[in-house]
Amino acid sequence: MTTRPSSSGTAASPGTAAPADATRRPAAGTPTVAASGLSLTYHRTVALDEVSLRLDPGVTGLLGPNGAGKTTLLRVLATAIRPDQGTLTVLDDDPGSVRGRTAVRRKLGYLPQSPGFHPGFTAFEFVDYVAILREHTHRAARHQEVRRVLAAVGLSDVRGKRIRALSGGMRQRVALAAALVDDPGFLVLDEPTVGLDPEQRIRFRELIAEAGEDRTVLLSTHQTEDVAMLCRRVVVLAHGRIEFDGTPAELAEQAAGRVWASTAREPAALAGWRTGTGEFRNLGDPPDGARLLEPTLEDGYLLTLGGLPTKEDA
Amino acid sequence: MTSAKPWHVSEEDLRAYAAGDLPPPRLWSAETHLAGCPHCRSVLAEHADPRELADGWARLDAELDAPSPGLAERLLLRARVPDHIARLLAAAPVLRWSWFASVLFVLALAVLVGRTTTPLLLLSTAPLLPLAGMVLSFGPGLDPAYELTVTAPLHTFRLLLVRASAVLASTLPTGVLASLAMPSFATVTAGWLLPALALTTLGLALMPRLGPVLAPGLVSAGWLLSLLLGWLLSHGPPFPYTAVGQLTTAGTGLLAGVALVAARHHFETARHLTPSFRFAARRLL
Repeated sequence: MTTRPSSSGTAASPGTAAPADATRRPAAGTPTVAASGLSLTYHRTVALDEVSLRLDPGVTGLLGPNGAGKTTLLRVLATAIRPDQGTLTVLDDDPGSVRGRTAVRRKLGYLPQSPGFHPGFTAFEFVDYVAILREHTHRAARHQEVRRVLAAVGLSDVRGKRIRALSGGMRQRVALAAALVDDPGFLVLDEPTVGLDPEQRIRFRELIAEAGEDRTVLLSTHQTEDVAMLCRRVVVLAHGRIEFDGTPAELAEQAAGRVWASTAREPAALAGWRTGTGEFRNLGDPPDGARLLEPTLEDGYLLTLGGLPTKEDA
Repeated sequence: MTSAKPWHVSEEDLRAYAAGDLPPPRLWSAETHLAGCPHCRSVLAEHADPRELADGWARLDAELDAPSPGLAERLLLRARVPDHIARLLAAAPVLRWSWFASVLFVLALAVLVGRTTTPLLLLSTAPLLPLAGMVLSFGPGLDPAYELTVTAPLHTFRLLLVRASAVLASTLPTGVLASLAMPSFATVTAGWLLPALALTTLGLALMPRLGPVLAPGLVSAGWLLSLLLGWLLSHGPPFPYTAVGQLTTAGTGLLAGVALVAARHHFETARHLTPSFRFAARRLL
């Protein structure tokens, strides 16, 4: 193993952290990610069905129910698995070849659903381990980079603590720090806010928003709140297909005129629940004279999924 | 009584010190003085090469910040293993005491049985230990950070080889010691080395095709079956421990090595390393 070269082809100078590199950002006018016709089948189950997607700088949310194919799509984009069909370009490189895949991995940060911490490692040691996996062999420069990313996620003070002694929120921040090593141009985050309490989730949102200021972030989540607060764009995936691709406001708009209030349960509603005021909030085609409500992102998301034919219907 | 007049190292000497040209005894005097004089240190910093100074601070930072590594990592560093390789190995289960204790326990039991009744337990288990170590040190479900590993720029196959060396380094010497503890069977019991290498290589070569569970499982089962059949059919040493058996094992190991190198790129993505038995069975059929 040799000292990790910078993207410009020169060896990283000792004692300096990896700087933001122009080649880690997409060329002007080209998307960070361009995927076309991605398909993948596991044991006769279609995980991805002709998924085409373009991602540009900023935070894009990926919403979908369990089994929709979100994690599979993220793994394909993170080069963990190869699709059966389709073309993919990430930051101008094609991960289909060995050389292209390595080039993509050098410009990619990935936070998997289960980051898998090595027991007994401290926060510093874990991020250091990931930096080594990213071909950082020069000790001083690597440690400087580790300190930089741990400071970026606010964990400088606990860097010497064993990971098993950290809270869930801190562990997720350690994983995010590992994903930020080398200042990647494309950040893939798979449900990073799961299991976090509201305070930790807000702190994590701040970090994601910060990370998305100058790079492309794809955020898979079950939380429509995360999307509403962070994302300039949202993609809804169901049964391995993209069912919606637009802004959060446009997703909410999908439910315009299809959310209404009632004093009793509405059997005809696609979904309905009693709210804190005692009224029912209903989604679907409202009856005549119904009192319409302002749609939310969650309403739009639920109606996008509710409008899908089920497997039995198909 | 008068207090000593404060003095400072001359600029000329500081310049020579920064360049590494200051001769003793002025060098010793300057070094002693610099340790206690902030003024001279700041003047020295002006004369020192800024890049070297920055490198020095970075090295100092790195040393101060570096967490104290665990025992296994310290031993590796003492053995002059580069620190990044030591960290890659420290993340492998084979370098944990639980694994090492398990190896020692199995070998001790095999030696005990071998000295009292039959060496078959040692002959059958010793060659499987490196394979078991490889399975434990790499693969989905076993390496907690596997998904991060497989998406990192460092080639997974390279990591596999690094860890394979650690597995062999931790299991082969203990196996040799176990062999030496059986004086009446020393020649035969030393014959497990070739099968150990061949089985490990074969298990790894089949991994991209069959997955990290079925591949070593089948190899282990095949090995044990061949020993059992040999034991049932003849009363001599088991077939792999005969001269012909050793040659056959060496040939199998070589072929498996070629297949492993040919399949190296399949280790770079996760799909063919899924731990699912059903998937592996489908691949097999």
